[in-house]
Amino acid sequence: MKKILCLLLALVMVMGMFAACGDTDETPATNAPVSDETKAADDATEAQVGSNSDVVLTFMTNVVGEKATALEAAIRDFEAETGYTVEFSAPGDSYEELMKTKMASNELPDVFTTHGWSVARYSEYLMPVNDMDFASRISDQIKPVITDAEGNMYVLPIDIDIAGMVYNVDVLESCGINVDDLTTWEAFADACAVIEAAGIDPMHIGGKDTWTIGQFFDWVAPSFYVTDEANSKAADLKAGTFDTAVWTELCQMLYDWTEAGYFNTDVLTADYSSDIEALATGTTAFCFYGNYAISDAMVVNADANLGMMPIPSNSADDEPTLIAGEDIAIGIWKDTAYSAEAQELLEYLARPEVCAKIAEAAGNAAGLTDVTVDLGVIQTYLDKYNTVETFAYFDREYLPSGMWDVMCSTGAEILALNSGSVEDAASVMEQSFMDKYVG
Amino acid sequence: MKKNSLQNRLRQSQMNLFYIPALVLFSVFVIYPFIKGIFISTTNWNGYSQNYKSVGIKNYLRLFTDKNVRTALINTLIYGFGSTLIQNALGLALALFLNEKFRGRSVLRAIIYMPVMIAPLIMGYIMYFLFSYNRGALNDIVMLFGGEAVDWMANGPRAVMLMTLVNALQFVGISMVIYLAGLQNIPAMYYEAAALDGVKPFAQFRYITLPLLHPAVTSAVTVNLIGGLKLYDIISALTSGGPGYASHSLSTLVHRTYFGAENAGYASAIGLFTFLLIMVISSIVTRILAAKEVEVS
Repeated sequence: MKKILCLLLALVMVMGMFAACGDTDETPATNAPVSDETKAADDATEAQVGSNSDVVLTFMTNVVGEKATALEAAIRDFEAETGYTVEFSAPGDSYEELMKTKMASNELPDVFTTHGWSVARYSEYLMPVNDMDFASRISDQIKPVITDAEGNMYVLPIDIDIAGMVYNVDVLESCGINVDDLTTWEAFADACAVIEAAGIDPMHIGGKDTWTIGQFFDWVAPSFYVTDEANSKAADLKAGTFDTAVWTELCQMLYDWTEAGYFNTDVLTADYSSDIEALATGTTAFCFYGNYAISDAMVVNADANLGMMPIPSNSADDEPTLIAGEDIAIGIWKDTAYSAEAQELLEYLARPEVCAKIAEAAGNAAGLTDVTVDLGVIQTYLDKYNTVETFAYFDREYLPSGMWDVMCSTGAEILALNSGSVEDAASVMEQSFMDKYVG
Repeated sequence: MKKNSLQNRLRQSQMNLFYIPALVLFSVFVIYPFIKGIFISTTNWNGYSQNYKSVGIKNYLRLFTDKNVRTALINTLIYGFGSTLIQNALGLALALFLNEKFRGRSVLRAIIYMPVMIAPLIMGYIMYFLFSYNRGALNDIVMLFGGEAVDWMANGPRAVMLMTLVNALQFVGISMVIYLAGLQNIPAMYYEAAALDGVKPFAQFRYITLPLLHPAVTSAVTVNLIGGLKLYDIISALTSGGPGYASHSLSTLVHRTYFGAENAGYASAIGLFTFLLIMVISSIVTRILAAKEVEVS
């Protein structure tokens, strides 16, 4: 009898353990504020909303700060309108790692943002959006970036990240430099020499965060590999051939600039917030970031006089260019149990007034043709350079997934001025490219 | 007699059933991932794709030629043994001091133990503001005395030494508590007898305190060594393993290789190697110290 009792107790403990780990059928309560319109809705609508309350969509995003606030506010309004529950989560820095573990277990959120990787990384998990209503309104500027070889698009691009180099206008003016003259890297380096002689750091990289070093390569590499049509290596890269000599040349430029003192002294240990502070306070001239850096710097110093310029070319025969990429792009997991509801959410977010609010918070132009966004000072520069040719982010378009970290780590070795770091960086890049390339 | 023995065995087997929940948990969260990790280490899996292929022992062979693994291995040993040495020397000294009776000793004990309760990641961020080049507290002090600001973490070996020190100082409270417990278990009569025989304090320490503290030494060294060998949070907060790979430990390298370089297969091989390393080192050290305990007893 005792033995049976013990066995039962042990079984109960094991079952209890698994019950605690299991899913619950309870629907989480929504804390969405209910608008006056909703309160005034008729009985039929209430009944409809009541039946929708069983729907629980999960939404995950990489964005944080103002962007996340705007996105969450839109989602709460969607909840109020439909009666669905949307579990919104913005885990910040750990987003990418979380998504990788979710992809590994093939258990993704119903709706999620793709942070520039809708095609290269997430397309096998996403539902094509070509047949959705908003698809016809997607801007031609972003279409090539979010379309795969079969012509499928997988995301709603709320905004378009059009990026050049951000700079402090006052610093350049005080050094007598006109950004429109900085059309090649040679001219850029000459300007850096002038700025450095004035006792200001020409460029600022917060290398402790590592991704900040990868930014340098993403900004500079297109001018070495793809923007010059006559010498473009784009086809070779897509076909799986990596030109190591060109990467060596690029790394040598970084090494020379570091040796010349064109970067901040603490280039290896400063972080992104130091970059922003330096840009905002005029202790540096240039940073390799998108327009979000201008928004962030304005928070540090509202009086900062900041601008954006196209990225110089590597030869006088080529032209300066801009980078175009996804920013807030939202896709639907192809195996979601709530396909129709998730599509409803995307259509809601694509409404001009909703899309405009989120794009404005991101400081970017909208990804839909019929949406106008007030971007303040950034708009001046987007208008000024609206004829400049744009190219996709180098690592997303021309390198296999997983190369970003290689660029960051090898770049750090160069910034540390380690001997042989230039040649090492090029050979490690080539090896990693060959290892990771999938034809 | 025989009946009693049978009853005892039956009772014992009934009690053994209560191990089941713990065993299930251990199997699900330790044994299964461990076996799965061994399998993954023989593949080229990128950590998220549904597609991968077997590469045999290629990932293990790469361990021997990868200079980043070599750097991380050396750093891991420095983190492990360096922290252990500092924590034990300082912990013992503090325990001896705080074992004396004086006003405020409880408060002092609490203050020294307090950093243990701070999450290592938070401690890392606090230390980041201490060692920062711009407006870092340490550089402010250096400049106050007319010195030049130093980028403390820009040099790999120096960063490793500083992080070893930070880790040791944060967790010195654990060693102190273990040694305090050990000291309080030594009967006072030994010291009284020694004092009557005219034994000097240092000789008392050498011939009474140290031998009788051996069990505490074994515990403190083992705990500190394992903690140091798998150091992760402080590195992550202070240098992210940089510059380049210069201050990575094997634990941070596993994370970087898995999520950053998207090379889960190779990361699993490094992880398995780290597991074996910690297991071998800690069991050798424990055996050596346990043998000493036997000699003493």
